[in-house]
Amino acid sequence: MENRSLKKVTSVWIITILVLFLASITLGIIMRFNQGTQLHLKPNTFYATLTTHGVTMIGIWAAAGLVAINYLLSRYVKTSAGLSIFALVFTVIGVVMLWMSTFAGNFHAAWTFLYPLPLAPYAAWKAWATNLFLWSLVVFGVGWLVWSVGMMAQILRNYSITEIFAWQHLTGKEPEKKTPPFILISSVSLIGIILCLLAAVVLLVFFFMEMYTTGVKNDALLMKNLTYFFGHTLANEALYLGLAAVYELMPEVGGRKKFGTTWYVALGWNCTMVFVLTAFFHHMYMDFVQPGGFQIVGQLASYFASLPAAAVTAFSVATLVYRNRIKWSFTNLLFFIGIIGWLIGGVGAVIDSTISNNIILHNTLWVPAHFHTYNAMGNVLLCLGFFWWAAHDFSGTRDTFRSHWPTLTLLLIGGFGFVLMFYLGGASSVPRRYAVYPEGIANGAPLATAAAWFAVVYLVGMLMVFLTIIRRCTKAFSPAS
Amino acid sequence: MYKSLLAGLLALTLAGPAHPDGGVYDLSEEEGLYTPIADVPLHLASDTTQLSRLYARQPVMVALVFTRCTGICSPFLLRLAEDMRALDPREKFKVLVVSFDPRDTQADMDGYARLFQLGGDDRWLFATTPQIEALTSSVGFRPTWDSLSGQFDHEALLVGVNGNGYIIRKMAGIRERKDIASLIKTLTGEFIPSYPLPGEDRLLSCFTYDPVTGVRKPSYGLLILLVPAAITFILMLWMGLASRKWRLKKS
Ligand code: HEM
Repeated sequence: MENRSLKKVTSVWIITILVLFLASITLGIIMRFNQGTQLHLKPNTFYATLTTHGVTMIGIWAAAGLVAINYLLSRYVKTSAGLSIFALVFTVIGVVMLWMSTFAGNFHAAWTFLYPLPLAPYAAWKAWATNLFLWSLVVFGVGWLVWSVGMMAQILRNYSITEIFAWQHLTGKEPEKKTPPFILISSVSLIGIILCLLAAVVLLVFFFMEMYTTGVKNDALLMKNLTYFFGHTLANEALYLGLAAVYELMPEVGGRKKFGTTWYVALGWNCTMVFVLTAFFHHMYMDFVQPGGFQIVGQLASYFASLPAAAVTAFSVATLVYRNRIKWSFTNLLFFIGIIGWLIGGVGAVIDSTISNNIILHNTLWVPAHFHTYNAMGNVLLCLGFFWWAAHDFSGTRDTFRSHWPTLTLLLIGGFGFVLMFYLGGASSVPRRYAVYPEGIANGAPLATAAAWFAVVYLVGMLMVFLTIIRRCTKAFSPAS
Repeated sequence: MYKSLLAGLLALTLAGPAHPDGGVYDLSEEEGLYTPIADVPLHLASDTTQLSRLYARQPVMVALVFTRCTGICSPFLLRLAEDMRALDPREKFKVLVVSFDPRDTQADMDGYARLFQLGGDDRWLFATTPQIEALTSSVGFRPTWDSLSGQFDHEALLVGVNGNGYIIRKMAGIRERKDIASLIKTLTGEFIPSYPLPGEDRLLSCFTYDPVTGVRKPSYGLLILLVPAAITFILMLWMGLASRKWRLKKS
């Protein structure tokens, strides 16, 4: 019974996320056409669109990772469909509030809503829109925090604290009780998610103190640190949730032996857990009042957070597919391409997080280039792999690749073409977050137009994925399932 | 004349540090920033022109002086001339020295330029204007006449004016070379690191800064960054211990 309701709520989650994804891609395409001067949005509308797109995308793909691990955790521990429903309701309410704040209230301080902009007296939106935007974040935060803590509590019922971090594997000897990689990665990521959501709580409390009391002003540097502690960490941890699903499903779907936890897998993910929490300091390079030591921590943590996880994952996946007879299905191809997208985006990120490069690449299109690569061609594909697998699992249909190669081709050409235009823009110093590029930036507009068309191709591919998944997911509600 | 220069320097040394902000002369370095400077006519050694014609060609640094000054004007100009030679060999802007004393004639100003050996230097322009009131009030400079000493009571003031005629920086008093360098950077459009100091009403700032010693220290705000980590740690520990008990009971 519990399993059935878990399937049902997972199906509703999958459909909700995909509907919001298609809508947000459309917003992205509108922005790119505007930057290419085919469309002419008012500047306020452009920035409201940017804000909606950014928050929705980050939110839904963090939620997608949580949906995936919530479902797969039921293989190891008891999971709660109730908590998932609770988070779903909060997410839907949060999205409605967010979209109202931006499109009805015209709030457009971008997804980072950096202090003091949301409260600025000269801002071109009403105070109620700021209130609604910040409260929408509260609603998201409460839903996901309760859900994540709930999942963590369930894991801890079966595994001790040292076991969730797989410390017993660090000696290199065969331990008495093994920690599956899925449990290790899920735990590491959930802890990161809980931590960054708590950073959001602190940040929002400071915002509300200034908004609802008189005579209180916040420190801009502290607020910026908190914003990136929350935002950067959430975006990164979301990706690791997707990877947890890959570790769990990729060998299984490919007809191979499950991945095991080795000392280097344990070490790599423990390093990632620690370093990802301080990597956000690389967002503060331009804040020269922050002491130099923090900037160096930011640079080193950026390397150490990404390299161990990337190395062990790339190694594990390579050993799985190299010279092995693996069953290639659509799920596995999505996982495989998603890992490649994540690695390419990761290299772009490490280049940008190196201080000497950041001086040049800071706030250019290189930034959306790398994070769109590891999102649109990384985490999205990893989670989509899970969605595809789940939809076929729920409906009892066979997951083959044969009839879906046109879909994959569209996703590949559209996705990589779209991000390539960002990279080319970044490499020639086209600034990010411009509604329209000034005359001096010659290649901004043509690159934007090309990117918009590539994104249309990606959207068509996504639409095809969506139609297949929705048909299969609705089977979770049929009495026979 | 050199005697008066020396006397001025001595007076300056005895007077202690200048008042960069406000002080007895009611001069603020922030007042009137990013507002246009009055576009007054200027009588120069060779011709007459409008101030706007000067700044349209190059950014301008305006220094307000009077030739009969027995106080700060001479050491102020002497120091500025030295700093200019050291800091801007490529002459990316003009220094316009304007007299705010209606008694000064163009001949007085030319003599003043020669005194500092700046007469033949193209970068330096020594001028008088018939609309000195308009100029001084647009930059917030308020000299007061002291009939007892027969002198203006005033502060030394340097005003940076950009190519659009906007006041982008003001500096009062004789300043260190690094301040002049920062004024030059502002004029030539380079990045100047500046950060608002946390006010009294500021909640938990990350750093404290002592403007006198220039020392920056971490403050309580930074500890706030540890709060989410501390709560997560306690939460995990608590859940870990609680579930251990639960597991023991079950087994
Ligand atoms: C094909 C799909 C997508 C399109 C067409 C698209 C388009 C865009 C565009 C045009 C921008 C503004 C770039 C600029 O700064 O000039 C943007 C920003 C952004 N996008 Fe996307 N995007 C897509 C997918 C995604 C995905 C999958 C994610 C995350 C999971 C994402 C997250 C963001 C974020 C966080 C921003 C920054 C918003 C801000 O600056 O406040 N996007 N996107």
